[in-house]
Amino acid sequence: MKQEFVKLIDVSRCTACRGCQVACKQWNEMPASRTRQHGTYQNPQDLQWNTWTLIRFQEHVDKSGTLRWLFRKDGCMHCTNAACVKSCPTGALYYTEFGTVAINKEACIGCKACVAACPFDIPRYNEADEKIYKCDLCYTRLQEGQKPSCVLSCPTGALSIGKKEVMIEKAYARVKELGGDANVYGDKFVGSTHVIYVLTEKPEVYDELPSHPAVPFSIILWKNLFKPFTLIGLGAVAGLAGLHYLIKGPHKVHEKNEGGE
Amino acid sequence: MSSHEAVVRITDAEERIVHWLLAASCLFCLFTGLGLQFQAWDIIPTILGGYYASKLMHIYSGVVFTGMLAYSFYMWSRDCSFEDADLQWVLKAGGYLWPVKDLPPVYKYNAGQKAFFWILIVCGVVISATGLFMWLWNPLVVPAIIARLAYMAHAGAVVLLGAFIVVHMYLGTIGNPGTASAMITGLVSRAWCQTHCPRWLADHEKKEAQQ
Repeated sequence: MKQEFVKLIDVSRCTACRGCQVACKQWNEMPASRTRQHGTYQNPQDLQWNTWTLIRFQEHVDKSGTLRWLFRKDGCMHCTNAACVKSCPTGALYYTEFGTVAINKEACIGCKACVAACPFDIPRYNEADEKIYKCDLCYTRLQEGQKPSCVLSCPTGALSIGKKEVMIEKAYARVKELGGDANVYGDKFVGSTHVIYVLTEKPEVYDELPSHPAVPFSIILWKNLFKPFTLIGLGAVAGLAGLHYLIKGPHKVHEKNEGGE
Repeated sequence: MSSHEAVVRITDAEERIVHWLLAASCLFCLFTGLGLQFQAWDIIPTILGGYYASKLMHIYSGVVFTGMLAYSFYMWSRDCSFEDADLQWVLKAGGYLWPVKDLPPVYKYNAGQKAFFWILIVCGVVISATGLFMWLWNPLVVPAIIARLAYMAHAGAVVLLGAFIVVHMYLGTIGNPGTASAMITGLVSRAWCQTHCPRWLADHEKKEAQQ
């Protein structure tokens, strides 16, 4: 691994201009979909195969009874222990040298295991080409020393990217500055994510944001226990059958009723 | 005794065809499934024309497996119903592990064969149901937590069924000489029947005599 990168999302600086949302579509050449007015600026309503990042608009009444907007840029968290990579049968989802999780579209067979596995509900399935889509943190841009397109587009400094240690330090400094319920989200679970939030409220306040994300236990059982035990089981039983044959020998047919046959 | 034929027809063509369709689809699913489970074995999807082709073959073979599983249940569940004497057979391990006397005489299938049948049915239903679910719906219309359980249960049931299939293959071939022909030609020796299914043989011969 060359150098781990972390993208920092400081929600306290976000004005919900959605420049990142547009820049993401533009760079990745993702078409827009027709959407409906749902009485909110949040548009589309959720992540889509062609919408890899989305500003979530949330109306929040704080402890003092004041109504405020909470803006959160949703998208792939680029886990160090990624449930999607663990569950992917073909290796289409893989770790890059930057610690991020990229996808090799050619290798994806549309099994949707990653959709089930992701604790953040990020990968999206496209019925048309039977493939999975998600943010790859602009892998090709990172390879050329460029910032991801969302970071490049951000006018307020809510988005920044840099070396992991530097960005985590920056996040904690910002949290100290903000005070109150402000907290760093991302460095304490799934082996630390490569997208880290500075949240102004506690994580449980935010819509669609798990407070305690983890690689699901069912995925761990599947891949760490059942998967090896498929072979161990087949091998062990075949070995025992062999031993039985050597020790006891085949089960002979009784000859007593053969009647001279 | 000399009036009896040396060989007895123990399975009909229908049973043998279903058995082999079930076995072939099951083993092919295991083969393609291992290829999808272990990336180190990408030789399996490679010889089958890639991972996507491998996925499709896994699915369609699974459809055959599901159909044959249902047919097997229809065809063999009666023969494989447990009876009181089966407990004695199990407690003596059918005479396979240590010398035993007075093994209860078996009708058509012994308790071990019956147990294998029911493990096949239970694991097969779990594998078929979760497989169908993963193929058609999951996880786009159900909560992710349910979808995850389906992947886990699919793999878990394979561990159990796979191990029992190895036992089945051993006992059906070299472990019990003379048995494999029951699923090939359908004919076994009369002595074989006397050993493995004496009560069924007696019934069978009584019926033959009446004709």
